[in-house]
Amino acid sequence: MFKIKKLAVVLGACGVLASSVAWADVKVGALFPFSGALALLGQESYRGLELAVNEINAAGGLNGEKIQIIKADAVDPTQAVSETKRLTSSNVAAVFGSYASGISYAATPVTELAGVPYFELGATAHKITTRNYKYLFRSNPNTALYGVSVVNALHEMIAPGMGLSPKDIKIGIIHEDGPYGTDVAATEKQRAAELGYTVAEVLPYSAKTVDLSSLILRLKGAGVNVVLQTAYQNDAILYFNQAKSAGFTPKVVIGAGGGYSLADTAKAVGPGMNGVFDLDFPQSSINPAGAPGLDKFLEAYKSTYKSDPQSGHSLTNYVGAKAFFEAMAQAKSTDADKIRAAVLAYKKPGGQSANGWGFDFGEDGQNKASTFYVMQWQDNKLVTIAPKDLALGKPVFNK
Amino acid sequence: MFPDFRSPKAYVSLILLAVMFIVPVVMGTAFWTNLFVLLFVFAALTTAWNIVGGYAGQLSLGHAVFYGIGGYTATLLTANFGITPWIGMIAGALISGVVAVVISYPTLRLKGPFFALSTIAILEVVRLLVIHEESWTGGSSGISLPLNIGWTWIVFRDKINYVIIAFVIFLLVLWASWFIRKSRTGHYLIAIREREDAARAVGVHTVNMKILAAVVSAMLTSVIGTFHITYLTFVDPGSAFSLELSIQIAMFALIGGLGTVAGPIAGTFLVLPIAELARGWLSALGNGMHGVVYGVILVAVVLTIPRGLAGAFGPMIERLLDRLPYLGTRPVKQAAAPASTEKHVIDRESPVLKAEHLFKNFGGLRATNDVSLTLYRNEILGMIGPNGAGKTTVFNLLSGFLSPDKGNITLLDRHGTWVKCTTPDDLAHKGMGRTFQIARPFTGLTVLENIMLGAFIDTSKRDEAERIALRVAEQTDLVKYLNTEARNLTVGGMKRLEIARALATGPKVLLLDEVMAGLNPTDVEKAIQMIRRIRDSGVSILLIEHMMQATMALSDRIIVINEGAVLVSGLPQEVVENPAVIEAYLGKEYNDA
Amino acid sequence: MDIFIQLLINGLLLGGAYIIISLGLTLIFGVVRVVNFAHGEFLMVGMYLVYLIATQFGVHPYLGLIPVAVILFALGALTQKCIIQPLLNADEHIQIFATVGVSTILLNLALVVFGANVLRAPADLGTHAVMVGTFTVVTGQLITFIIAIVLAVLLHVFMHRTYLGRALRAVAQHRYAALLMGVNVNTVYCIAFGLGTAFVGIAAGLLAPQYPVFPTVGTYFVLTAFVIVVLGGMGSLYGAVAGSLIIGVVDTLAGYYIAPDLKEVVYFGIFLLILVLRPNGLFGTSTE
Repeated sequence: MFKIKKLAVVLGACGVLASSVAWADVKVGALFPFSGALALLGQESYRGLELAVNEINAAGGLNGEKIQIIKADAVDPTQAVSETKRLTSSNVAAVFGSYASGISYAATPVTELAGVPYFELGATAHKITTRNYKYLFRSNPNTALYGVSVVNALHEMIAPGMGLSPKDIKIGIIHEDGPYGTDVAATEKQRAAELGYTVAEVLPYSAKTVDLSSLILRLKGAGVNVVLQTAYQNDAILYFNQAKSAGFTPKVVIGAGGGYSLADTAKAVGPGMNGVFDLDFPQSSINPAGAPGLDKFLEAYKSTYKSDPQSGHSLTNYVGAKAFFEAMAQAKSTDADKIRAAVLAYKKPGGQSANGWGFDFGEDGQNKASTFYVMQWQDNKLVTIAPKDLALGKPVFNK
Repeated sequence: MFPDFRSPKAYVSLILLAVMFIVPVVMGTAFWTNLFVLLFVFAALTTAWNIVGGYAGQLSLGHAVFYGIGGYTATLLTANFGITPWIGMIAGALISGVVAVVISYPTLRLKGPFFALSTIAILEVVRLLVIHEESWTGGSSGISLPLNIGWTWIVFRDKINYVIIAFVIFLLVLWASWFIRKSRTGHYLIAIREREDAARAVGVHTVNMKILAAVVSAMLTSVIGTFHITYLTFVDPGSAFSLELSIQIAMFALIGGLGTVAGPIAGTFLVLPIAELARGWLSALGNGMHGVVYGVILVAVVLTIPRGLAGAFGPMIERLLDRLPYLGTRPVKQAAAPASTEKHVIDRESPVLKAEHLFKNFGGLRATNDVSLTLYRNEILGMIGPNGAGKTTVFNLLSGFLSPDKGNITLLDRHGTWVKCTTPDDLAHKGMGRTFQIARPFTGLTVLENIMLGAFIDTSKRDEAERIALRVAEQTDLVKYLNTEARNLTVGGMKRLEIARALATGPKVLLLDEVMAGLNPTDVEKAIQMIRRIRDSGVSILLIEHMMQATMALSDRIIVINEGAVLVSGLPQEVVENPAVIEAYLGKEYNDA
Repeated sequence: MDIFIQLLINGLLLGGAYIIISLGLTLIFGVVRVVNFAHGEFLMVGMYLVYLIATQFGVHPYLGLIPVAVILFALGALTQKCIIQPLLNADEHIQIFATVGVSTILLNLALVVFGANVLRAPADLGTHAVMVGTFTVVTGQLITFIIAIVLAVLLHVFMHRTYLGRALRAVAQHRYAALLMGVNVNTVYCIAFGLGTAFVGIAAGLLAPQYPVFPTVGTYFVLTAFVIVVLGGMGSLYGAVAGSLIIGVVDTLAGYYIAPDLKEVVYFGIFLLILVLRPNGLFGTSTE
């Protein structure tokens, strides 16, 4: 039912009251939404970082020094700014974060100004890495790639599988009007145009909306048969329920993470969810053969938190954090410029990390070698169907 | 221009302000500089809000719209055109000013909660439009300020510079608030807040005043918004056009004391740290605890000390401050020029007010039926008639509170020209004053301040207004009560205050609406003397009365209104013995009595 | 044309829930003369209660709304007695702040107790759609609409045919005169406020099958309710019904013909126009 997250917040309180460091420790900041609307997945993301730190400390630490995490709670962008200011004046070697694009976007100018490296592990907005910052690095793929990946998946796998050619397809792009939805929708639209698809409608809506019936009528009226949605949980469920009521049954529905990846969404929607495609960060339900270290991660998660991962965010953050820590170790210093050089020099091919991602950072700090995986809901479970080495199932096409 | 720094109130305030600045400078850590920047920003926002919310009494719950305009303007200019935020600040303030005028004009006549609702609606509309127009506004993710360091760009590594700028802006807003409060504008605003129509009767152009307050408040809020957003180095629609922020700044003003200069600052400095600490400690109990704290404090204040901290503790603090020494010798106040002792007598050759063929209908009821009258210089004209005859309607027509369906009203102004005015404030400026049947003093102000409101019509200097008020107080036997709050007067005192306030506008024509009602015989006698004195000083008077004894004693002429029409007019003795008049009052049976 | 009719149907039915919410709001304003800024938060409380009853006791929201309405009646009457009543003679702005304060407390309390998660009450009945000719009608919305009309009629009968109802109207028209007539004004106020919030409790139960609950759900509904009540005329029951239907249709039409994310701009625009041009609304009585 409703949880009072005592554990996390007692730790948070300790973090807030954190005083001076124990001798010979490396301090890093962890900026996530630990409370508020985004807390569920913010907490989940943080766990990935924490597991990475635990693993490194158990193996001797970063170049022999123990890593100490200072937690900072960022409920909204304004609080993110003040918390980041607190972190940068606590002599952290780097700041890790933050799951939510708004928080990352607001916090990173602070670290850039202070000359402290910021490692983004999960926020996707493209804008974050377009500002020519020197000390900002991101391990996960961003929204510029997201839209492209969705449409590519449609083009290369789903449409052929459904026996649809581009001229049969009328795409309707619907999205929540926040930074997440708007960004993904924009790149979806662009990529679809490049590949020659007809985009009949692009309809933003407020994430807090209580009624999508007019929007669905618009899609119906335009003859849309492929829906690309970017939504949180509430609006995803609303869409499915109201589409069902209105008798709107597009041939293909592809989501871009958010609510589309959550078990609760599938539970609320019911059997109507089966067959729906979703692109997102790698979930823990991928083929371990393509992801060495995955089993170790799952085991550590289970023993530390006494449950299975709630979403793919913990795995994503874990993989990114581990990579960044390795780069920091290679830098052999906490000097920001040396760390930058080390990160840019850090290269790993795909198939060697716990979720199958490779690493290759561009001048803007973005990892060009991380990708979104394609999944499909089958029997109310989210099954990874692409890329091949990491797939655990085959797509099902309901013609 | 500046407060008298030798008075205890002023120098103690200076000391407090100095302390406020020194604390973050001395403590120096990020926590302290951040906290005090926040405190200065919010104290400034609340003080700016107070100008329209507290002084003018228009409760805006959408003030963040100006904060956001300031922030967005500067950020867009810097990000797209490389223009320094200092210029962006000015540009934002100008835009906010224009927006304030556009918004206020239609909405300012809405009453309390409806005005508040309209401000919320405007805030939401702006926020949604900014999100929608994402091609140039950056949409819902907002815009990041380019990180150019230095005073030109208001982006610093050294946090103390932010504290300095925040403090300077805070001082600027504080000074503006103080200046307005002490000026004529401030007094007018408070009068409008207390009793808008009474304010109009003393010549306050209420609409213009309210718009002025809105514009000043909007521009100051916008400047603060520009600074705070450059401090945060980013802006997004959700946090810039935030309903929560708007409610917060209104809340601090209420808790501290609406309409006072120091109140909002006290409210901010006391409540904000509590809430911020609550956010830190109590978040263990669950996110949102600090919001509960805000809400509980607000409800508690509303129920226990509705006039806020300033209202509850202000008098005590004032008393303590009065015990402190004045640095130097107090300047002596000049006395007013004594009233001339020349006796003015009635001049039947010179009319001063003419009403011709007035008609007024309310729905199917003809309230005023072809009423014509003339008032001569230095005359006392009494208007009598049975209840419901329509005397007050005629008064309202003459004084501009109602407009006639047909007919003309002309007034001889102070320069000798005949003018036709349509609004009460205009008439007041041209030389007509009036009182109200139900006395409507500005209850929260002292007797002196009440009278001063009338005096401000001719002067904007506080001292001169005070002199005029003192003189009028002598004329109306109110000298003993000058520092009492108007709400604490007796009925007789309130009636005299009504007259005093109208007199202070220096009218040539005075309309008195049943000033004797409710007075005991001694007071009635004193009132008669007072009205004679007023006439003797050169004022023409038109009065409605039910007290026959007083009317007979005072009036040079009487006009009788019955069923909306003039029944008869003439010398008092003639009128009273006129059978038609007796019939109107007492009925046909008494005609032969 | 088909789509237009479907939009009309959707809009009218959407108005159903708003009828109930705005009847409560306008009743409180009409009698107690207080603009209840916390109305949305009472709805939120109602929806959480419905959720709890559904998940803890397995009772369907349509049944659960009965105890919830009673609880909310008590809550409203309590708010009136403890918070509004002491302030009846205070300045208007004090009353505004009082209800704003209540709204802040309720909203943040929900955040503390339930967290920011979105919670759905499990309910089967009320989520399906039936076909009427070529048009679809969601059963939950239809049920809500029918109950809304029934409530409006019942309220009308109550106000005009019962002593209590007449007492409410008397107090609405002239507080002091009613007092002199022997009406216990304070009790009447509590009843009026309680009724207003009880209505919102009923709405909560009817909305639960279709909409989830989260701490800020009230804000959305209540801003729309304010638009409706101002449009229809503060204090007018007919106005609340008419306004709800109009706004419901505007909502669906604007969502279709203009853009889904600009719906609110459209009806806030209408709201501002009404406030400026015809502040008494379509059916409202002057507030003097």
